[in-house]
Amino acid sequence: MSEHPTTSWQAMQNGTVFYRRQQLYSILGKLPDLGDYIIAGCRYGGPLAMMRDNTKLIAVGRVTPAHAKFQIQVYSSAGEGLLLFSWDHGRIIRFGWTLNEQLVVLNEEGVYRVYDLQGEYQQYSLGTEASEVGIVDARIYENGMVALTGSLTLLEVKGWEGARPMNLANPNLTDPPMSWAIIPPDSNISRHVEVLLSVENTIYTVDNLESVDQRLSQGPFTHISPSPNGKSLALLNASGTLLVISSDFQRRMAEFDTLNVPSAQGNVKQVEWCGNDAIVVTWDSLAVLVGPFADTLQYYYVGNTFAITETDGIRILGADVCDLIQKVPSSTLSIFRPGSTSPAAILYDAWESFSQRSPKSDESIRSIRPELATAVDGCIDAAGQEWEPYWQRRLLSAAKFGQGFLDLYDPTDFINMGQTLKVLNAVRFYEIGIPLTYAQYSYTSPTHLISRLTSRNMHLLALRISTFLSLKPDVVLKHWASAKIMRTRPVASGTGKDAELDSDEEVCRLIVDKFKQLGDVEVSYAEIAKRAWEVGRTGLATKLLDHEKRASDQVPLLLSMKEDRLALQKAVDSGDTDLVYQVLLHLHKHLTLGSFFRLIEDGGEQLAPASRLLQVYAREQDRDMLRDFYYSDDRRVESAVLALEEALHMVDPSARIAAVKSAQKFFSEDKDRNFEAKMTDEYSRLLTLQQQLEAEADGKVAFFGQSVNETIRTCIINGMLKRADKVKSDFKVPDKRFWYTKLYALTEVRDFEGLDAFSKSKRSPIGYESFVRHLVEKGHSKEAVAYVARCDPPKRADLYAECDEWRMVGKECKDRGDKAKLEQLRKKCPNSLIARELEQIAISMK
Amino acid sequence: MSAEDQNAYEVEPLLDTNLLKEISKKALVDALNSVNGSKTLVLDPSLAGPLGLVTEVALLKHHGVDKMYWLERGPLPSSTTNIVYLCRPMVNYVKIIADHIKRHAKESSKHNYTLFLVPRLSSLFSRLLEEEGVLGDITISAYNLQFLPIADDVLSLEYESAFRDIWVDGDESVVYDSAQALMTLQRLFGLFPRLLGKGDHAARLIDLLMTHVTQSHNASTPDTLSEPSSNFDSLIVIDRRVDMITPLLTQLTYEGLIDEVLGIRNSHVELPASLVNPPSNPPADAAVAPPAVTSSTSLRKENKKKYHLSSADSLFKKLRDLNFSNVGKQLNGVARRLDEDYKTSLQSKTTAQLKDFVERLKGRLYSEHQSLRIHTGISELLVPMTRTEQFNKSLEIQQNLLASYNISDQISSIEDMIARGADMETILRLLCLASITSGGIKAKALDNIKREFLQTYGYNFLPLLLSLAAPSLAILLPNPLAPTTPSAVLASKYPFPSLRKSLRLLIDDNSEALDEVENDISFVYSGYAPISVRLVQCVAQKGGVLSNPAEKEKTSGLDGSNSVHAVGKVQAHPIVGWKGFEDILATIPGKTVDEVQSPVGVIAPLGGIARPKDKATTTVVFFLGGCTYTEIAALRWVARQNRGRNFLIATTGIITGSSIVDGIAGTKKTTAGSKDAAI
Repeated sequence: MSEHPTTSWQAMQNGTVFYRRQQLYSILGKLPDLGDYIIAGCRYGGPLAMMRDNTKLIAVGRVTPAHAKFQIQVYSSAGEGLLLFSWDHGRIIRFGWTLNEQLVVLNEEGVYRVYDLQGEYQQYSLGTEASEVGIVDARIYENGMVALTGSLTLLEVKGWEGARPMNLANPNLTDPPMSWAIIPPDSNISRHVEVLLSVENTIYTVDNLESVDQRLSQGPFTHISPSPNGKSLALLNASGTLLVISSDFQRRMAEFDTLNVPSAQGNVKQVEWCGNDAIVVTWDSLAVLVGPFADTLQYYYVGNTFAITETDGIRILGADVCDLIQKVPSSTLSIFRPGSTSPAAILYDAWESFSQRSPKSDESIRSIRPELATAVDGCIDAAGQEWEPYWQRRLLSAAKFGQGFLDLYDPTDFINMGQTLKVLNAVRFYEIGIPLTYAQYSYTSPTHLISRLTSRNMHLLALRISTFLSLKPDVVLKHWASAKIMRTRPVASGTGKDAELDSDEEVCRLIVDKFKQLGDVEVSYAEIAKRAWEVGRTGLATKLLDHEKRASDQVPLLLSMKEDRLALQKAVDSGDTDLVYQVLLHLHKHLTLGSFFRLIEDGGEQLAPASRLLQVYAREQDRDMLRDFYYSDDRRVESAVLALEEALHMVDPSARIAAVKSAQKFFSEDKDRNFEAKMTDEYSRLLTLQQQLEAEADGKVAFFGQSVNETIRTCIINGMLKRADKVKSDFKVPDKRFWYTKLYALTEVRDFEGLDAFSKSKRSPIGYESFVRHLVEKGHSKEAVAYVARCDPPKRADLYAECDEWRMVGKECKDRGDKAKLEQLRKKCPNSLIARELEQIAISMK
Repeated sequence: MSAEDQNAYEVEPLLDTNLLKEISKKALVDALNSVNGSKTLVLDPSLAGPLGLVTEVALLKHHGVDKMYWLERGPLPSSTTNIVYLCRPMVNYVKIIADHIKRHAKESSKHNYTLFLVPRLSSLFSRLLEEEGVLGDITISAYNLQFLPIADDVLSLEYESAFRDIWVDGDESVVYDSAQALMTLQRLFGLFPRLLGKGDHAARLIDLLMTHVTQSHNASTPDTLSEPSSNFDSLIVIDRRVDMITPLLTQLTYEGLIDEVLGIRNSHVELPASLVNPPSNPPADAAVAPPAVTSSTSLRKENKKKYHLSSADSLFKKLRDLNFSNVGKQLNGVARRLDEDYKTSLQSKTTAQLKDFVERLKGRLYSEHQSLRIHTGISELLVPMTRTEQFNKSLEIQQNLLASYNISDQISSIEDMIARGADMETILRLLCLASITSGGIKAKALDNIKREFLQTYGYNFLPLLLSLAAPSLAILLPNPLAPTTPSAVLASKYPFPSLRKSLRLLIDDNSEALDEVENDISFVYSGYAPISVRLVQCVAQKGGVLSNPAEKEKTSGLDGSNSVHAVGKVQAHPIVGWKGFEDILATIPGKTVDEVQSPVGVIAPLGGIARPKDKATTTVVFFLGGCTYTEIAALRWVARQNRGRNFLIATTGIITGSSIVDGIAGTKKTTAGSKDAAI
């Protein structure tokens, strides 16, 4: 039987708050001396990365060999070695962990690598500016980092995909800060990263907009540590005073003098938070927990320590143990606190009595009947907080016992907790070494846990947990397949080509079989194939790609494999025009123009969409290429259209005429385009004529670029009537259209005499009604009247009415004896005077 | 519209399309907030309209937007460190943005540039920025602006050039983006149980949609994508190419006519400022004031103001789908009722009555009065337009062409209109209509009229004529076709005369009562039923294709026996695909699609999908390439005939025949805006 939970408890604040120290692992002799190393710990029970601290002297004869190069070792919390790699890329400035347990290592030139736990890495840079001035220091958080450059400015990088570094506001420092820290965007109100710099006596807060002096006077500070939720700051100044203030610098929450700690020797090593409400200050072999009211608890260790803040506690490694110190959760407290009378405590007690066959059990249950449901919930929750399976089981049993007395109880929580604890216990096992608490697990999600396991190559466990929690197994399988490919890399000493082929087949079959066996999950073969290609196994990559159903995923890989046609084909099939552009632009860059065109032209109907997209792009961006493209494919009509479109934007008249002529030539080469050839011919003749006209008018009148109709109109408006006639005959303008155009133009310049002469020049092909209507429409009713007499007799009365010529209306009707019309029009009369007149006419007609 | 129709809206609630608006709004706010501090917003002018449907300037200001400018050539003044661009990935914008950045660099003013591309990232755009050498200075992300609700039952992507992109340029980005937007719809409300479509690009869209669904099955699949929705009963995709006739005709509903004559952009119409702002003189004078001739000229000169035609305006909701000939009567009725309301107020005796009246006056009465004034004003703007010779001549030609009456006469009428200098768009609409309805125009006549056209409007329209004749569009063709024409064109010949009969496109308007009883969708074009909506009826209201439900009602009403008809509404039949109309569909060029989307792993029977009778379902009709207001009106009419089925109309944008022609010609009418952008 394990020790009772309360044995690890220690009271604070007069026994109202308890902290517990849970020993997670015994790691005696597994880790080198922590004092000699620079260490970075990963949150959520993650691993530790360690690098020899070259500033420290080492006694000769210690086991560790002397290193000429930098070497980074990674250990799990249980002290199991996970990874060891050397670094030969300049001096390391800083290393730290990402949320996905990737190790980021940054050197003085601003180059950083993101390592996974298998030692594979991606390399990025902070830019040329950073490499010139150098990097002095950096702070790395889960989703990015902030670097301090040699010129004492701050650079921020968001995410780990090689994003462009952004400059933060310049704090205008003259010396490097005494110490500094950052509050990550997630725990900041502004949702942007905030940097805290200890400068002289005060602290500057810097974000991407401004740098603000917070006007503290107790500095300089040797340690700045923001709490996990970003709401409070712990500051340690040079005189050993620990200050706790809110992160908006408005409230001071506690003050504590570290010099008064008995048995503390030497300098403070770390100031870290334990959850969000206590601070741990460490010295060699000692960790002091400082509560909100400056009361303390002391924990002694053998040898040097290293502390890692967790969201719900703090992990401390000593030479022999790995501990978790945390505030005792309220559910646990309410059950196990001596003398507790909470319903949960009574339920637990009742269950214990029950298992001892004591009748007290029944009595206890009765007493808490109304709150039984809460009590059950309390037990379930407390089970989640316990480390030892023994106590977990006991608490769950108590909960189950309590459930039996409830009529309606949703057992989902109970079942979930059971499942979760099973998973947690599995990963806490020292060989796995992920000491994850229930709260951390809930925060980071099960899928996160799965990915952590896969990155440790623990595929079987990850797969089993996935299945157990009914998560989709594709993530695990994908990782497994990639790992498989890496592992089965053909050995250099293999027996020639055949050996490799064999193994390609085999590996591919192995992977595909495994996927099929697990229910044909939707795994992206393309990603796995990419992996294969990256390690130089083209054959395997091609084989795997054949299994990929998603066309779009194949494209990038196909491109890098130089399967140009296939890549373009797949891109077109995907319907994603952006993808097609990607391929087109890639090919345009890497192929000669000739073979690029050939590739597209040979594609025929299947690649037609790509061809059309290329034309859209080229029309906007690269007309020369488009011209070549049409030319190489003998597309005369398109060439001609292109020439016409270009002509439209040309300013120089002769260039424009030349462009139109070239279009004409293209059209004339296609025997089906007679009409178009003729039209472009007319077009160029018109432009030439317009040039002449402009010359004749001494450049005072603009003709160039007008249509035939407009040219005629401009001629008439400017009194060049002869010229208008010439245009008419040159371009065989039909009479009707010419007459309308001339009618409109003459009306526009109010040349009514000219109009009269024109109307009499010959019998109007458009009749005279059009004259009347147009003149009326333009507000020249008076002038219109003259033309009414030439219109069809039956329409005259109406037309006179439109001209507002009522007397003539009366006369017309009378002449024609059309009384009905007269009556009809009389209703539209504008005033009574006219109405009476018309009435008289009507009477006279009788 | 009767009270009964009003009930229909209330009894069967539609899907909450505002959800989409909220999503777009939130995405915008998130995008803006990702840039810390105050910022200068540089806006793509084509996005101003759509954004105006999502947000208002105050919201932008609230999220740190200090100044706004149009994205256009010339220097960009900048008072803030942050400059945020919001634009569609158009190639010509690259140069402008690059120019801004280089200019700033020269002036050595330092800025943070952020670029939001709508609706998604574009590698082409990044590549071009790279070529300009400024990619390193810009942070690029996407702002996924998809469907915007422009009415309770209409969603639009507000793409202006969708038609040109697909059928002239062959750029299928719109199809892909539409598929993405429909995926969003499915993610919100569940899978469409059945996918129906007509037309090659519709088929492509459905194909993409189905691949997207299967591909998105991974760990993060939301539940809505794994089983058919209980909200939707089907998605019907109509490819604009399938029915080119409808947009070419002049729209005759109120809203359609506003779009034809005044132009509606993003649900806003530009009206004379005096009309939008309440005049100081009593509104009664407005009716007396001389209408007609002067208003058309003054329309051009007077300051214009944008007016939002929204479905919140209850009067507009009543008017929008009416045939314009009925609008006057309706307005009259409302005016009279308002007048009565005012009169009763004069009779109110007690102070309590008076107080009650004043309250009403402030609220409902006042706003009703306002909208009455505006719509009367709009009608007065429209009436003179509908009386012009050009308008009536073109209507006459349209009707004759639809009836295939004396085609060569119609061609010479069109020629006559050219001589008279009618609008270029009107002429091309008529020409294309002639070509489609009669299977091509006689080669000689066509060449002649094309020559007339080019001489009148300019030879630079030659590429436009070529585009209309190109195989992808093929709506202006000679008859017989040249022997070398690609076979694709031959296959796309439109069987209009047979469709006219089989789909009952033309309704004889011999009865005088036709205007009174809106008994068929053909009321929207005064006697012609839009093919696109007939096709939707083939799926969703099969009876409506064959005969007028309203007429049936009349006869059964005489018997007095059938109580179902007395109610006036028939329970909507389940969706069984194109069943019954397969032969007709086969004659229309373009692929026909009918797919069932079943939950993963389960194969559903290809029959009708059983649904609970009492629950109303929604049929989504998606117009790929745009639809007209008239088609929307017709679909609303169809929706009113049935119980248990609503329509949600989705489209790439709202079009008219003229906007199509202008789009192809590339003569976009740009409104000169001020340098300071506004939404």
